[in-house]
This record gives sequence, C-alpha cells and structure tokens, in this order.
Amino acid sequence: MDRIARINMGAAGGPTVTFEEVGEYAGLGGRALTSLLIAREVHPLCHPLGNENKLVIAPGMLSGTTGSMTGRLSVGCKSPLTGTIKESNAGGQAAQVMARIGYAAVILEGKPEGDDLYKIIINKDGIKIEVDNSLKLMDNYPLVEKLRQEYGDKVAYITIGSGGERQLLAASIACTDPELRPTRHCGRGGVGAVMGSKRVKAIILDDAGMKMRAPKDPEKFRDANRKFVEGLRKHPVTGEGLPAYGTNVLTNVLNEAGGYPTYNFKQGQFAGAAKLSGEAQAELEIKRGGSATHGCHRGCVIQCSGIYNDKDGHYITKQPEYETVWSHGGNCGIDDLDTVARLDFMDDNIGLDTIEMGVTIGVAMDAGLIPFGDREGAIRLLDEVGKGTPLGRVLGCGAEITGKVFGVEKVPVVKGQAMPAYDPRPIQGIGVTYATTTQGADHTAGYAIATNILKVGGDVDPLKTEGQVELSRNLQIATAAIDSTGMCLFIAFAIMDQPETFQALLDMLGAFYGITMTGDDVVALGKKVLSAERDFNARAGFTKAHDRLPRFFYTEPIAPHNQVFSVPDEEMDQLFNW
Amino acid sequence: MNATRQTRLTLTLPSSLIGDFFPILQQGFFVTAHVGCTLQRLLCRQWDISPDYVATRITTIFLNAKATDNVETAVVRDGATIALSGAMPGLVGATMRRGGHLAAMRGAMTYHETPADAVDRIGTVRVKLFNILLPELGPAFLGRGILVSCDDLASFFRERDESFWKSCDGGILDNMQVSAGRLRAEPFCREGTVRLTVNFR
Ligand code: SF4
Repeated sequence: MDRIARINMGAAGGPTVTFEEVGEYAGLGGRALTSLLIAREVHPLCHPLGNENKLVIAPGMLSGTTGSMTGRLSVGCKSPLTGTIKESNAGGQAAQVMARIGYAAVILEGKPEGDDLYKIIINKDGIKIEVDNSLKLMDNYPLVEKLRQEYGDKVAYITIGSGGERQLLAASIACTDPELRPTRHCGRGGVGAVMGSKRVKAIILDDAGMKMRAPKDPEKFRDANRKFVEGLRKHPVTGEGLPAYGTNVLTNVLNEAGGYPTYNFKQGQFAGAAKLSGEAQAELEIKRGGSATHGCHRGCVIQCSGIYNDKDGHYITKQPEYETVWSHGGNCGIDDLDTVARLDFMDDNIGLDTIEMGVTIGVAMDAGLIPFGDREGAIRLLDEVGKGTPLGRVLGCGAEITGKVFGVEKVPVVKGQAMPAYDPRPIQGIGVTYATTTQGADHTAGYAIATNILKVGGDVDPLKTEGQVELSRNLQIATAAIDSTGMCLFIAFAIMDQPETFQALLDMLGAFYGITMTGDDVVALGKKVLSAERDFNARAGFTKAHDRLPRFFYTEPIAPHNQVFSVPDEEMDQLFNW
Repeated sequence: MNATRQTRLTLTLPSSLIGDFFPILQQGFFVTAHVGCTLQRLLCRQWDISPDYVATRITTIFLNAKATDNVETAVVRDGATIALSGAMPGLVGATMRRGGHLAAMRGAMTYHETPADAVDRIGTVRVKLFNILLPELGPAFLGRGILVSCDDLASFFRERDESFWKSCDGGILDNMQVSAGRLRAEPFCREGTVRLTVNFR
C-alpha cells in the first residue's frame, strides 16, 4: 500500500492514470486519508457533481493483512447531499483486495465530456479504463452478474446501480461480499452520485499474484491479532449478541426505551416492534434455511450479518441492519420483515442509502402520498426511483428535497442528511452528535463508545446530565480514529470493556508499521481528522447555525417520555473547542 | 389484565420448541409477584436468578420504560413493566447499559426512584425478555407459569406451523386432558386470561 493512483476521467483524449508515492499520507488509511486529502485538494465551494470534486477510495491501515476485522473501505468526497465533506464506509471484500494490490488510495478526478460509461480494471499489472456502454442503467445485482461472466469470481467489485448513474443524492456505492453479492454499501451522503458524475460504473479489483501485506514484525503481529480475536470472542456483544441477532437486536431495546422514532418521528414507540426485532428476524432466517450469522468480508470474526430468504428458501437479501429495519419498518408504520427485506434488496440493487430512503418514504407518507403502514405502496415508491420517473428522481434525492417538494414541515434531517434510528429527544446525547458532526445527521459519527479506554478528554461523570457535549466530542474523536484504521466500528464494544483487547489493537498497528502506538496517538489522529473536516466545512460556508437540529425537535415533545431536545446552543458550540 | 376468569393450561414440549415462545416473551407477559420490593429482591429471591447472573448477564434493565442503573434501590410497584436484556451493541446500546460510562447520554430516559408509596403486597407485573436472555430465562418463567390474554394465546396457536404440532401431544386444560387437535382447532377461551405453564423436556 505504498502508491496512490489518480485517474483523471476528464483528461483530453480520454481518461488517464498517474501513479505517485504515498508520501505524506504514509501510514494513514480509511477516513484519515480520504478526509485529509479532500480537505487539501478539493475546492470547498465546488459543485459536488462537477469536475472539481474528487472521489477518494481508500482501504484501512490494516486492510489486506491477516488481521481480523480490517476490511472497511472508505470513500471520501464533497457530498452532493449535504454540501459538507463526506466519508462513507462499507465492508465487503474490496478494501482487502485493493490493499493487497498495493494502493493506499485510488482517486477519481475530473469528469468526462459526453455520455460514455466506463469500467476500471485494477490488477497487479496496472490500471485499465475501458468504455462499456452495455452496462448503462444496469442495477447492481444484474450488473455484477454480467461482470462476473467476464472477470470471474476471484475478484471484488465496486459498482453503482441506476441510482448513482442518475446522480440521485441518496445514491450509494456497492462493494461485493464474499459471495460476490453487491450487499455492502458506502451508503451515506450521495457518494454514488459522485461516482456516477465521473461516469464510472464499476471498478474491478483483481489481486491475483499478490500476497497478503506483510507486517514489520510478523510474530508480534500474529500474537496481537490472536489476543484481539480472543477479546472479541469472549465479549458478550461481539461474541454473542451481534453474531446471534445482528444489529437489529436493538429494535426491542430502543422501543422499550421510547427512543424508536415511528411515523416520521411522531412517537417513540411502535406497537409492531417485536415483529421487526432482531430476535424475530434471526428465528425466521434460520427457519427458512438462511443464516443469522455471516461475515461481510473474510476475516470478520464477529459476523453480525446474515442471509434473509423468502418462505420458500430463496435468497431475498442479506440480513437487513437495524437502521434499515427501522427506516423502512417502524418509521413507516410497517411491521412486516418480508416487506423490509424486499425494500432492502431494492435499495441495494438500485444503489441507494437505506436510511435516506426509509426516512424519505416516511416523509412521503406524512405528505399523504401513501398512508403509513402501506407495504405495497412503499415498494411502489421505491420502484419509481428504480425506473427514474420524475417522482422517483425526487424521492431518490432524499428526505429534505422530498419534504420541500411536497410541503412537509417536519423533515428529520441535519445538513440535508436523514436522521437514523434513534430519536434525539429522549436520547439527548445522540442529538448533539447529529447536530454537530461534520457529516450531517449520522449515528456512526459518534459510535466509538470506547472513550473511557481512550481517555479522550478525561473521565466524564456518567450521571451528570450536562455531560452530553463532552461525551459527544469524545465519541466523535474516537470514531474518527477507528474509521481511520479501517477496522469495523463494532470492535468498539470489546475495546471499551477490555483494556487488553484495546492494547492488542494498538499492538497490531504498532507491529505492522514497526512503531509504538499509544492511546494518545489514536486520539491525536482522531482530532486531526475532525479538525481538517471542520475546516473544509467552514470554507464551504458552514457555520454554527448549521449545527442544529430541525426546529420541531425543540418544540414538539415525543411520547412516552414527552421530552424535547434541550441541550443549549451555546453548549453545542463548544463541541469542537480543543 | 383481567384476572376475574382464569383458565389454566399446562403443556409439556420438547426443548427445541422454546423458540416458538420468543414472540410472547419479547412482547411481554404478566406474572404474579410480591411487589413493593426492590428489583434485586424480585429478580433474585422471587425469580431465583443468581446475583452473579443479574450482575453480569442482565446488563440492561428498563423499569417502566426507563433505563435502570441500580437494582438495589429501584422499587417494583404493582402494574410495573420490567424489560430485561443482555449487553447491546451500538452507541445507544452502550448508553442504556446499567451504570455505564455513557449513561449521561440518556437524558430523560434514566429511572429515578421516587419516595412515592410502594405497598408491600401480591400484585401483577409485566415482564419482557430480550435477546440472549430469551433462551436463558424463558424456560424458567414458562415453567413457573405466565399470564397471557385469551386473544394472545389464540393467535399464538393459530400462528404455529406443522413442526410445532408434530411435537405437541396436547396438554392439561383446567385439570382435564386436551388434545393437540383441539388446541389447534378452536379457541378454548374467549375472554380473560390464561395461566400458561410450559414444561420443556
Ligand atoms: S461485524 Fe458485521 S459489519 Fe463488521 S465486518 Fe463483521 S459482518 Fe461486517
């Protein structure tokens, strides 16, 4: 991983490739690399779908090694959905393969004239860019099937469906899983539209002839990885809860807590929640011959995913995640897992962010396009997006635009991005993160719960109610750091509770790069990334006035706790003061 | 919960069928209990769950929809709802954890004990079991007997598939033997509650 490839899609006479040493980005990966590069090289006032924007694709620091959980792929750009800097990441095989071929980043620059569609083939011999107009407007599943006939099964595919090609603002970038299904998506922020604007339909990554990346100290690395895996296996969340039920294990708990937004954020509890729960989902998956335990890439030991079949045992989709089951399910008043699974498949196939689309359909229901709870109606609306009808194009541009077009007053977005599955009124701390993150409303921006281990910002009194801003700051720093390692964020549970597992992670990084890493180094990296992102956003015109939730969260209480969001603006404005 | 008319049904089933009862156990069932005591007393003394298990496995507890940090001070009153869960993923999962360092994120969701009267008496509480606790605690609750509404039990039997009925050889309904065929064919009660006891073999 010592090279960066720049592909200028807009070069006169057709796309060109240049290679350069990784240079000052050496030792960086994932979000650190994408955000620092975008902040430095992209004009903050550029149009996100214009030729000045860049799409940076970067594996994590340990991707392509024998280390466990190292398969996250980050993509970065200026987001067409939010107008801010964006990092969106996904699992799947792509990060491992790209890292083994030797690239710390592949950067798509410029924008071609004309209507040709391209595919990019990356292997040990270099990079080829070919026009392939036979792929036009294909969706992800048939697209990957077609590519497999030509490039086979020993490669990884990064693709966009018709959503990305149409430059819809909710469009995602798909990465194939070990079974070569396009199920793992860099979902948030419309990154698929940026790839579509560059007219790149598919990237084929072939690591034939390449070896695993070798650590500087192989023995120490192996030993640290073993301890890291042991830690993950023995922890009740990473060793039991996630493998058995996946992230959807949260439905029952959030609903019980009254923090499960329902009917477009009007109530905090949903009567049909138990039918959508991870427990019900796992039972059904096993009964139908699918699986409730599955890894999105090789080398994942947590295996939070699964396979969801129909009642006749035929594959519908991968196990929908908690946020998807919520957005298409409870948020829309739909209590049927089969409907959610169909919608999840459609999102993956068209290439759309499941959170954005579920929230958008909730807004459309609020507008009266279809009633809440209308299963077939929800499928029909998503079908419009797949067909690219005028209505579909509006919906495919997300909740904020749909709300504006249909005159809906309460649209749950921050900086144009739909809020995920946790209501910020009863869970005030997450509201602080939604409002202030550099990425638009995003639950994962403050997901790395291991702040106590990292000792980011010192200890916070757990029962002090004023601790929200401080906690959110610490969480955002820790998350930026983990996103940069390329490790799956779900490792955070084990490293929070087990100092020896956190130490094992540091030792893996240290043994690989031949350095000594401490918790302080990780914190410093997190801060550096956030500072660069904030600076980009400031230059793009974002001020503290944008670090707010929509007004209705401050004025309309939500049952059952009947709370409004009440963290003072002045406190939130202190979040990035370090 | 209407306790005026109570039917009693006892089933004996293979342990492989415990999963069929998960929907009832998650949605919530009622049990008779001595109320007016602390959660710790209810869990350990009345329901016979070891203190060690409470401390290490039941890491998330909601009392009346509020996350509860201290089982030794939280008092269970008549009509309370108690939801029990293992450790949860996600930021919010960690936030809900008992005594976790992220508890401040919860805001209004934290349970605070009030000095309001808590009468020491026999009452009814609603229990919900989630995730890893379903197979671990479910059989004991079902073995002691739970109260479910006639309607809920009727829909439970309606939704069972062939594999359930193949393994069910009937039960005892109000001291009388009842066949699986009858349980399957017709609702055996129309209103009130059923005290359902399930022994797994
Ligand atoms: S834990 Fe889940 S999301 Fe993370 S790498 Fe494994 S399967 Fe993918």
